[in-house]
Amino acid sequence: MKKIFEVARWEYVEKIRTKTFLFSVIITPIIIILYAILPTLFVEEQSDSTKIIGVLDSTNVIFHDFNKELSSYTLNNHQPAYLLLDLKKNNQSLSNMISEADDKVKSNKIYGYFLISKLPNNILSIDFRSKNILDAKDKIRFEIAINNLRWQQQLRLKNINPSTIDFSKNNISFIETQINNNSGSPSDFISVFYRSIIYIILLTMLIISSGQMLVRSLLEEKSNRLIEILISSCKAEELLSGKIIGLSALALTQMLLWIFIGIVLLGTNVIPITSFHNIIEIIVYFILGFLFYSSLLVGIGSIVSTEQEAQQITNYLSMILIIPIVIILPAMQNPDSIFMTVLTYFPLTLPSVMILKLNITNISNFEFLTTVLIMFFSILVIIKISTKIFMIGILYYDKMPGFKELKSRIFSK
Amino acid sequence: MLEIQKLYKKYGSLVAVDGISFQANQGKIFGLLGPNGAGKTTTMRMILNIIKPTSGEILFDNNKSLNDLYNLVGYLPEERGLYRNSDVIDLIVYLASLKGMKKKEAKNQALNWLDRLGIKHLANHKISELSKGNQQKVQFITAVIHNPIILILDEPFTGLDPINQQEIKNLILELAALNKVLILSTHQMDIAEKLCSEIFLINKGKEVCSGELSEIKKNFGGQHIKIGFEGGSNFIKDDKNILQYEIFSNYAELQLNSLIKPSDFLKSIIDKTTITHFSIIEPSLNKIFIDLVNKTSEKIL
Repeated sequence: MKKIFEVARWEYVEKIRTKTFLFSVIITPIIIILYAILPTLFVEEQSDSTKIIGVLDSTNVIFHDFNKELSSYTLNNHQPAYLLLDLKKNNQSLSNMISEADDKVKSNKIYGYFLISKLPNNILSIDFRSKNILDAKDKIRFEIAINNLRWQQQLRLKNINPSTIDFSKNNISFIETQINNNSGSPSDFISVFYRSIIYIILLTMLIISSGQMLVRSLLEEKSNRLIEILISSCKAEELLSGKIIGLSALALTQMLLWIFIGIVLLGTNVIPITSFHNIIEIIVYFILGFLFYSSLLVGIGSIVSTEQEAQQITNYLSMILIIPIVIILPAMQNPDSIFMTVLTYFPLTLPSVMILKLNITNISNFEFLTTVLIMFFSILVIIKISTKIFMIGILYYDKMPGFKELKSRIFSK
Repeated sequence: MLEIQKLYKKYGSLVAVDGISFQANQGKIFGLLGPNGAGKTTTMRMILNIIKPTSGEILFDNNKSLNDLYNLVGYLPEERGLYRNSDVIDLIVYLASLKGMKKKEAKNQALNWLDRLGIKHLANHKISELSKGNQQKVQFITAVIHNPIILILDEPFTGLDPINQQEIKNLILELAALNKVLILSTHQMDIAEKLCSEIFLINKGKEVCSGELSEIKKNFGGQHIKIGFEGGSNFIKDDKNILQYEIFSNYAELQLNSLIKPSDFLKSIIDKTTITHFSIIEPSLNKIFIDLVNKTSEKIL
């Protein structure tokens, strides 16, 4: 036991001093914060200025009401979101007006303009002409406004009471509330989406950065034969356990530093309080996921002989870890699908899938306990297998052991 | 006493060590010799418990198994290296603590050894800042700092200059005098000849010969002479009384056949060249090594 802690202490102290660790502690939160801030900054920058939109309405019936419809949209500074400009001139041909309007777009005098005309079969044709494609939010607003206009015009033509028309204009919007065992809290698609992605990226980066340090140190010990001195000084199990404990302590330090940064930023736009929902369960999956992958990496890392092979292995493992990011949209729509259930109970994907599920749905106590037990036993099995691989891998200096040899070693008593 | 009994190691169809047995005694330097790929490293790894033998036993001191005696063994591997970014003192203390030493004691001992080898001033330097020779000294310290009873040294002189070689040679002799079991593996036969009192020669996993060095030399047989001469060496190459020869710049070592006495051989060559030296010698370990390895290799082929 004493030797396990000696190895753990050495691994911890030697690696915490490295530039790689410092880089990982500082750079990872910066990347995560950028992930959180950039979309907000972008949206805020967009919405701080009024967009001037031209309207070239050859039907002469849309412009006035369209302007009225859009006037309800305002910016954070209470300025109107859109300013409509009538581009129609009675004494000019349509082609001339289009040409002039295009010039205004090109010279950035207007953001874009609507060309509204009627097709021969009396169908309304609307073309939005601009240098840049419309963003999704503007497009939805414009479509709603035009469809409302058409609807109201139809109602007027049918002589419907004006108060009924006004009532038809009042749209209802709703907020979403996730119900959990304790209380309900408001959340929305975007925040759940980003929260889930950020936690999975944090876990992935934690495993990749520590995993690379582990595999590199094993490579160094193999290439300079220090591994033979270590193995002649303590049992392989002691060396392996010490390495995993040391590395886990390092990862825990990294996590605590990240949590500290999180607390400092808590309550700001960067990290809202909702980000810490289910934080205990998330930390449990973080620790189990980390232990599982580091145990796996010790075994795999011991058979590699070059930096390139080590890089490849950590890359493949990180690709497995980010599977939940790829499936996040269908998972949010249907968290109980068969595919999600399979990934939930598969040890390689379990930690990140459960972190995702904790954000998008309610986890029963049974599911929590089952998954924790699966991870616990998987870690024990992986440590056992890794120890066997480790004992053979460390003695292969210039090549990797063959599959047959590994198989026979793994299944030997 | 370290006792190896019928040690056998097989990797798939390859037999790396084929039932060898030997004893290495305390207070003596035991030379484990053999060409590349003979099975020396595999044997040492089995003694060190790095790999398990397919069969056979390794016993120490009244049949005690070595399995749980990690702290009693010191090891200097052939290919050397250390954690390049670690401080010298930290690394020595870490490896000593893995051998069961307390931190304080390990640090004191480390400083003593560094002082003794003249590199105390480098204690707080990074390993990467040290010369190759000094790195080897640090590695030697990590092998002996915990005062092991069994010390296994694999090519301890590789890469050392003559002064450092002499320093390490003296330390090895001192350690042997402290009643330790010392196993030395080397290709430098002149050094093995000077240091080892017992040798075990292994080739292709099998024992070739073993025992006290003086006995081995006696039993090797043949008449060996050394002659100094001036001029060409053609007279040696054409002489049918010479079984084997090794020619150097102005002298040669010869093995004569049993049909001629050394004095008669001297008479037969005295007219052919100018003799400056003539003596009867023991065969060198190097010669015994080459002869025996060649013979066993032929047999195996």
